[in-house]
Amino acid sequence: MQEDAGTAAGAADEEAEVLARVRAGDERALASLVESYHPAMLGVARTYVKSRDVAEEVVQEAWLGVLKGLDRFERRSSLKTWILRILVNTAKTRGGREARSVPFSSLAPADEHEPAVDPERFRPPAGAFASHWSAYPSDWGAQPEEGLLGRETVDVVKRAVEALPASQRAVIAMRDIAGCTAQEVCDVVDVSAGNQRVLLHRARSTVRAALERHLDG
Amino acid sequence: MAESTDHVTCQEVVELVTEYFDGALTADEAEVFEQHLNFCEGCEWYVDQMRTTVSTVGHIPEEKVPPEMRDRLMAAFRDWRQS
Repeated sequence: MQEDAGTAAGAADEEAEVLARVRAGDERALASLVESYHPAMLGVARTYVKSRDVAEEVVQEAWLGVLKGLDRFERRSSLKTWILRILVNTAKTRGGREARSVPFSSLAPADEHEPAVDPERFRPPAGAFASHWSAYPSDWGAQPEEGLLGRETVDVVKRAVEALPASQRAVIAMRDIAGCTAQEVCDVVDVSAGNQRVLLHRARSTVRAALERHLDG
Repeated sequence: MAESTDHVTCQEVVELVTEYFDGALTADEAEVFEQHLNFCEGCEWYVDQMRTTVSTVGHIPEEKVPPEMRDRLMAAFRDWRQS
């Protein structure tokens, strides 16, 4: 959402504190860092290597790299960006050996148009109410809260995210699970601002459609 | 963005939601986008659905760190601390 600027200062303070604790040898601080970055790291690693097992090895290797570099880290980037960059470098090295990598920069999402919503749901582009909904999407605000955040619904969303193409999955994991900013994603995976947004938009649109099938039946 | 700057269709709105959330639309574009929502309940609900989608993705239970990885990292951390 449009809250990046407002929360950035608070996030920086929090980060400085966690960093100081880890540097002082606080195991719990490191453990919580490892827990909180795990989904994003795994998501990113899986765009570069074939299997989940190898991705987990990459994440572990990246953390060892983080520990090695901790004393030299000068906070020229955010801690999160720095850690995720180490991960990407580790994954690329490994991905080269694994002979699979999905280079973000070679994606040209603008070339093929994938609509966010099935064009069938809109009126024809000419005539009265051109390109307007032929039937409105439903009002999820009228859904009971427990339906939206219930385990079954979250499972549907989780499966939809897992089924996304690797590059979309990585971007949505970084943005919506790990809470990275758009800029952080661009810095970490070497993707243009425009492509980052297209990947995120496609990912969210696909997940929304899955959620709609589940909630509206 | 649409060819004309004073009007967007519903089919265009659904493609602009992510840019809108990210504050990546120009002030004029955002204005046109919001004007559309004021008069179109369908798009208002759609944008709300996208917001719900984003927050639900944020509720996916975090993947657990495998215990072996955790143990190994903590051991490495203890070594690092002592070095």
